[in-house]
Amino acid sequence: MSISKLSSVLATSYENFPKGRFITLVVLRTTHSETIFRTEGSGEPMCSEFVQAGLEGENQKTIIQRLVMTKRKQVAPERRYGREHLRAHELLYTNPKDGSLCSLNTNAPCEMCVDCFLYGFAAGGGGAQKSRIWTEDAFSILPASDVVGDRTINAIYETGTMRDEKGNASTALNTSEYIKPGVHFLDVVTLKDVTADELRYIIGNILFTSRYGAVSSRVGRMENEILGVFGSITELPSSLELVQATYDALGKPLEHPLNIKQLITASKQVIANWKNKRGVSVQLSEEELANLLTDVETNWSPDERDNFLKRLTQSYESFRQVAPEKNKGKGKSKGKNTPVEVEI
Amino acid sequence: MSTIPFQQAKLVELYCLEPVFFASRELSDTYYTEGVIGNYALTYALGRVNSPYRLQGQATGRPTYKEDLQPIAHDFYILPASPVGRVTFRFERFNALSDSYWYAMTNNRVATAREDLPLQRQGKKPSSFRPSNFPQTGRLRMIERRNKFQTLVFGNYQLPNYIRLGKFMSKVKLNVLNEFPVTLLPEGEYQSQHYLNAADLPQQIEALAFDLISIPPAPIIKNLRFRGAAWQVGEMIVPAGLHFCGRESSNE
Repeated sequence: MSISKLSSVLATSYENFPKGRFITLVVLRTTHSETIFRTEGSGEPMCSEFVQAGLEGENQKTIIQRLVMTKRKQVAPERRYGREHLRAHELLYTNPKDGSLCSLNTNAPCEMCVDCFLYGFAAGGGGAQKSRIWTEDAFSILPASDVVGDRTINAIYETGTMRDEKGNASTALNTSEYIKPGVHFLDVVTLKDVTADELRYIIGNILFTSRYGAVSSRVGRMENEILGVFGSITELPSSLELVQATYDALGKPLEHPLNIKQLITASKQVIANWKNKRGVSVQLSEEELANLLTDVETNWSPDERDNFLKRLTQSYESFRQVAPEKNKGKGKSKGKNTPVEVEI
Repeated sequence: MSTIPFQQAKLVELYCLEPVFFASRELSDTYYTEGVIGNYALTYALGRVNSPYRLQGQATGRPTYKEDLQPIAHDFYILPASPVGRVTFRFERFNALSDSYWYAMTNNRVATAREDLPLQRQGKKPSSFRPSNFPQTGRLRMIERRNKFQTLVFGNYQLPNYIRLGKFMSKVKLNVLNEFPVTLLPEGEYQSQHYLNAADLPQQIEALAFDLISIPPAPIIKNLRFRGAAWQVGEMIVPAGLHFCGRESSNE
């Protein structure tokens, strides 16, 4: 149980107030098919950003355009994945407003399920829960120009041609940018004050989520790999710094597609130094990391999953039950004879 | 009051480098700063007297102006600062939030007790959701940056170049414009241009007419016409015998 090695930065149960416990996951996200990350709508270019290529020597003077996988494009599919299983095991709660089942994007979160407690919600029944999962924009290692291609899409009639029976030409013709398969994004995910089971839930969501970005029923296949896990009292370097340092470590020449083995070696070399960063107390070794992932997979396995999700759901139970009466008589007092609160 | 306790007085200009806030008046959820700076606040700000960082027990319920100010009253006095020109104000909105992971904005309260949420969902009002009697959101009217005030400092003290004022410890620059001797004028009818603290007026003064700015801890008087002895400082005239908590000291 290498999860116990993280015990100094794991919470024993959900607490409403932060206690400065950080767990950092270093994630390598690799596209396995055409993938589309854009914010501007169909036909627009991919999300990208001009940044320094690296942190050392010539690289720091070179500016390149990197693809960006924005925070929300990471978290949204991952939390939806977890919710699928909460739904399957009937662990989503109903919201008191209209009695409907907890659902994203309906302005009516149940405020009580694992997802609500962990990934947060806003604008529910007046309360808001901050997310304890802090994400960052992930950057591609190689410049956008190397890893983006164009596709022309046309929609044909059932005749198999671009003309219908009356001979009218189809207007369904479009060109769209896409990210090539085999593109690597390096990403740092920061977890605040999570419990061991919450950690298993989050890592499971990251490992098992396989589709990201637009048109994810057709394209957007991605594979996530966890390269490192840290425990600290502060945040570790950002995704951008990680990408830049890895770019430096890879050496030249760099061209698409990168050898993933070399890339992982370079990234691990970079994060090996993070153990010496200010405030970092734990780094899981290769073996411990493998054990942790096995532990996660065991808990998510068909035999264990029900127990695991119910145990995690149960852990918030004290926040769902009406607390036992505190030194007050029964009956609906209308604000009379209530104990005076002392603010210190 | 035949003798003058102060040989000289400095005319001092205060220049607000930051918005300055005092809770002079409260209307609903708006907290107004009046266009004046009280002389007790200035005495603390100048470091002539000090208040503890932490108040505990009974001390939280009672200010100690008298205990603090009377010991230094025989050789130091400062007038409330009156604005130079028109005071300009700025409004700011503030809201309080918790550092908890879950919180709800209820009736003038940031509720953070997530364990009370189930009770609240049953339509009850747990005490952690009830309105609080201290502000969580509201608006502040503050004295805007770049406002100038002036005041007279009696007594021969080195003054700091910068002081911190008000609830938010706003930085204020202090310039000594001039130094004057204090001369005593005989009994008569005088008009004082300067702002005065009502609690510091001498016992024997006969106030004929004045305007009152009602702020805690003591009202400020302006445009005072009075009969009695007076001090002249340069062009300015103030009642003679001004003294911290002067209305109190008759029984000494």
